[in-house]
Amino acid sequence: MPNLASPKLQDAAHIWRSSGVVAATALVCAVTGSGMFARSVFGLSVTSLPDLVALYMLAIVATALRYGRTASVLAAAFSVAAYDFVFVPPYWTLAVTDARHMVTFVTMFVVGLVINELAARLRQREQEARVALLQARTEEMRSTLLSTVSHDLRTPLAAITGAATTLRHDRAHLSETQRADLLEAVCEESERMERLISNLLEMTRLEAGGALDIHAEWVPVEELLSSALGRLDGRIGPRDVKVELQERLPLVYVDPVLMEQVFMNLLDNALKFSPAGTELRVAAQASEGTLVVQICDRGPGFGRVSPHVLFEKFVRGEHRGVSGAGLGLAICKALMEAHHGSIRAQAREGGGAVFEVSLPLASNPPHVSVGEAS
Amino acid sequence: MSSLQSSILVVEDEPQMRRFLRASLGSRGYRVLEAESVLIGLQMVTSHSPDLVLMDLGLPDGDGISLTKRIREWTQVPIIVISARGREADKVVALDAGADDYLTKPFGVDELLARIRVALRHASGQRSAYPEEQIHLGELSLDLARREVRARGENVRLTPIEYKLLVLLARHAGRVLTHRQILKEVWGPSYEAQPHYVRVHMAELRKKIEQNPARPRIVVTEPGVGYRLQTECP
Repeated sequence: MPNLASPKLQDAAHIWRSSGVVAATALVCAVTGSGMFARSVFGLSVTSLPDLVALYMLAIVATALRYGRTASVLAAAFSVAAYDFVFVPPYWTLAVTDARHMVTFVTMFVVGLVINELAARLRQREQEARVALLQARTEEMRSTLLSTVSHDLRTPLAAITGAATTLRHDRAHLSETQRADLLEAVCEESERMERLISNLLEMTRLEAGGALDIHAEWVPVEELLSSALGRLDGRIGPRDVKVELQERLPLVYVDPVLMEQVFMNLLDNALKFSPAGTELRVAAQASEGTLVVQICDRGPGFGRVSPHVLFEKFVRGEHRGVSGAGLGLAICKALMEAHHGSIRAQAREGGGAVFEVSLPLASNPPHVSVGEAS
Repeated sequence: MSSLQSSILVVEDEPQMRRFLRASLGSRGYRVLEAESVLIGLQMVTSHSPDLVLMDLGLPDGDGISLTKRIREWTQVPIIVISARGREADKVVALDAGADDYLTKPFGVDELLARIRVALRHASGQRSAYPEEQIHLGELSLDLARREVRARGENVRLTPIEYKLLVLLARHAGRVLTHRQILKEVWGPSYEAQPHYVRVHMAELRKKIEQNPARPRIVVTEPGVGYRLQTECP
């Protein structure tokens, strides 16, 4: 009695279970069955044997195209055996009386192997084509990224080079105002480059394996918003920023550095895309297990670009003269998803855009009692 | 206020950075010493006893953090660490290991000078012309003897914890304090793992002392690191 737990038997059982083998067996049995049916009903004679051989070849081809090597070799072998057993006299034995049948057997088997080989090559070519297409697409994206980065870094760099060389070369001939202007340009353009580089690094980090290092803590969202606003203080300048936060918002469990970045990116966008004198509005409310933060501006809105497309990489708004590779929103989206939250954009009533960030609220966030003033 | 005799040791391997620091600090009257590596930096702290150490955390031959610890074994010389953005954890470790403040690359000369001024002031024990019991910082004034706090001339009523927080920040005015440092000082060592205590109380404090709590000017958040009570406009 063979040991059912032995490895060899296990392997064989595995091969047997794979669908290709089952299909091969089924097809060969089907051909054999139809042949037997034809013989009994229509009285098949020896001259019909070539038709049967053709049918078996069909079964082998079908197996070869659809399933792997093992299955089709098995189909070939099984076909020869079935053919011999059932249709070649003496019937119901594997022996042959006429040696010419051996030629048929060998030919069937060899042709089966050849078909198998051709099918394998075909599958491999298809696979290679798919891989090549994927690689071409990745290359294209990388090219786009590189050329965008190149352009977006060269632009401020050109301004810096121009200003710095002018200062070096024409130092004596420039007025105080001109010098101040040029130096201002160097500072501003440097900041622009720094922002772009940060975004690129962030995007690379987000893409590489997708594993995001989140150090979550319980944080009051007011702090993140005020910190983001504080960092953009210089760029906000005299602009009106209305902050409307619901009282006693619960703490959220987020990575403070990453979440602040989300708000920074959104505020940065709002500042970039809306005219200098217009107001910004930042609001936050908690309801039904979600904390929602809205950042609204009175800019030109999205134009013809569909809001959800904005969150894809490299999509910029339709407006000329606005810098940035279009990564800010894609980064926001990735960061929100990493926090099990979401972000969306919609047109604002009366003109402009609303960016809405949603974060799930824990069922029992920690509560810190703030005590009485003395 | 004479910075003429203050010497600053710059531990930095990037030649262009050293050039910029040499020029900007030198023009302000500081004596600039340079070290290109941790090893040389350590030697120079020993041999020259600088008044302040500016240290890049990304040095090729070693670890700014262990250098900080080494230095702290025998001197309280102010240490300002320089690090890149996104490496907040490094800064926090350095600060908790004994560094006094940090700068994030790329930084401007105004920020650099402000940090250095604050660090030197704290080190020399000089504060303002006012005695210890009174601290005046721009919009804010604290009378520690009477436990009174005024913001923009108005009296402010704080809870005991808010008061402790404010005094701590004021005593280290201009310098960054990590969450851990604040928790330890205000709540005690066993609370080190609860940064949200700090955040919540800080938010309450801001509501009381800031003109616009949504855009704080006095107590500034240093993302990923801690808080700073701002004394001068950067």
